[in-house]
Amino acid sequence: MTTSSRKPGQIIPKEAASLRTLTATMAVMCYLACLAIGALILINQAVDNWSRGLSGEVTVQVREIEARDIDVDVAAVLALLGETAGVTSAEDLGREAAEKLLEPWLGTEGLDALPVPRILRVTVKADHPPDYAVLAQKLAAVSPGASLDTHRRWEDQLTRMAGTLSLVSALILVLISASAVAMVIFATRAVLDANQKTVDVLHLVGAEDGYIARAINRRFLSTGLWAGGLGVLLALGTFLLLGYAGLPQADGLAAASRSLFYLPGDTWWITPLALLAVPVVATLLALVTSRITLLRMLRTLP
Amino acid sequence: MLELDDVGFRYGRGQDILRGVSFRLQRGAFSFLTGPSGAGKTTLLRLLFLALRPSHGHIRLFGEDVTRLPRSDLPPLRRRVGVVFQEFRLLDHLSTFDNVALPLRVMGQDPSTYSRDVMDLLDWVGLKQQAHAFPPVLSGGEKQRAAIARAVIAKPELLLADEPTGNVDPVLARRLIHLFAELNRLGTTVLLATHDQGLFKQVRAPVLHLQDGSLRQL
Repeated sequence: MTTSSRKPGQIIPKEAASLRTLTATMAVMCYLACLAIGALILINQAVDNWSRGLSGEVTVQVREIEARDIDVDVAAVLALLGETAGVTSAEDLGREAAEKLLEPWLGTEGLDALPVPRILRVTVKADHPPDYAVLAQKLAAVSPGASLDTHRRWEDQLTRMAGTLSLVSALILVLISASAVAMVIFATRAVLDANQKTVDVLHLVGAEDGYIARAINRRFLSTGLWAGGLGVLLALGTFLLLGYAGLPQADGLAAASRSLFYLPGDTWWITPLALLAVPVVATLLALVTSRITLLRMLRTLP
Repeated sequence: MLELDDVGFRYGRGQDILRGVSFRLQRGAFSFLTGPSGAGKTTLLRLLFLALRPSHGHIRLFGEDVTRLPRSDLPPLRRRVGVVFQEFRLLDHLSTFDNVALPLRVMGQDPSTYSRDVMDLLDWVGLKQQAHAFPPVLSGGEKQRAAIARAVIAKPELLLADEPTGNVDPVLARRLIHLFAELNRLGTTVLLATHDQGLFKQVRAPVLHLQDGSLRQL
């Protein structure tokens, strides 16, 4: 038997109950982090979809004004819109469509006698929309009863709400990371306590703190990788289950979970990258936190 | 090499364990440290291998006043000192080979560079067969020899040993004393703490006698 062919034994013994507990709790943290990340992606995706749909369309309303023929006004507005750069099409929805929109509030009786405004649906180039301020002025000049609704108010509200939700998700991620840091600190102390005798001997044979910290730190590498990997797998399982196992009560949730895997076009990489980042961040967090804790604790020993 | 000047030690506000201890070991010296149990021999050794700092006085080791050195400067000094602990302090999760090789490993040496030296030394102390056994299955005498091998593997300039022959039979004790004498002949300064008066006859060396925390030279 040759001695050089043998790998030297691990300076810090492998079994450490506190590390197993840490792996389990960190895996749960990583799982929650994945869910928060999923929510963050979905919110931003939804806002993108809504605002893309909304900003591709504006509405022009033409009100009936005494002593004016509304049909002439509508025709004039349509002609103006046809000449405006950035407008792809303009369509009069007609009196019936306008009456249908009013029906829930006013019913069907007596609408004929009322001056019902006419709605024009205008589609615009999303990347080169018309100058709405100029268009509004021109519309007023053509017909005093015409007004422009760009849905800006809705878009602003949606964006604000989504911003709040994103912030909440981000805050959850921060809280998860903070608890993970606290758990790593506890586990590091436990590992150091459990290996007190080894650490003493290492010091006495001339080991530097950095050497001892590295030997213990190595244990946290596998902890971080395992916890992160498990968390991601659990989260993937959850998204797949929600998306495809079909809970009838959760149609929206199912569609949302599925859409995580089918982000449009050039953004398909966001979900895999974000989920992949979880084990990487978990491992770095475990390594850096335990190393700092170790060096601080070792400094207090003789 | 080693110089103590009026060294005193106590734990916290407790009573003095060592008082006014002054002595000097020249490079290449061989000395015994003796005294009744509880006289402070182990505490004095702990001060010498830098596991404790004196409450009073100064210790100079290799020309450095270690009472004032920052903690980060201690590891290089400790590597120049070999220590045999009374309770061995072997690491149970490492093989005898890995225990003995520990000081070299801590210095960053590769197993391929030291494995031969370690095996030679294990052979010399009669532990070649136990190289890959773990300390819990070794007898007291075998543990003692492994601890001695670990203390000397890095060829320390100063060797401190606390009752190094306490657990071995007289034949092996003689061999171990010869090992220490041999190391001393090669330039290592040796300080042996022991109860065993028999050892004094084997090596002619000054005896430092510690009693009630104070030192006198016999």
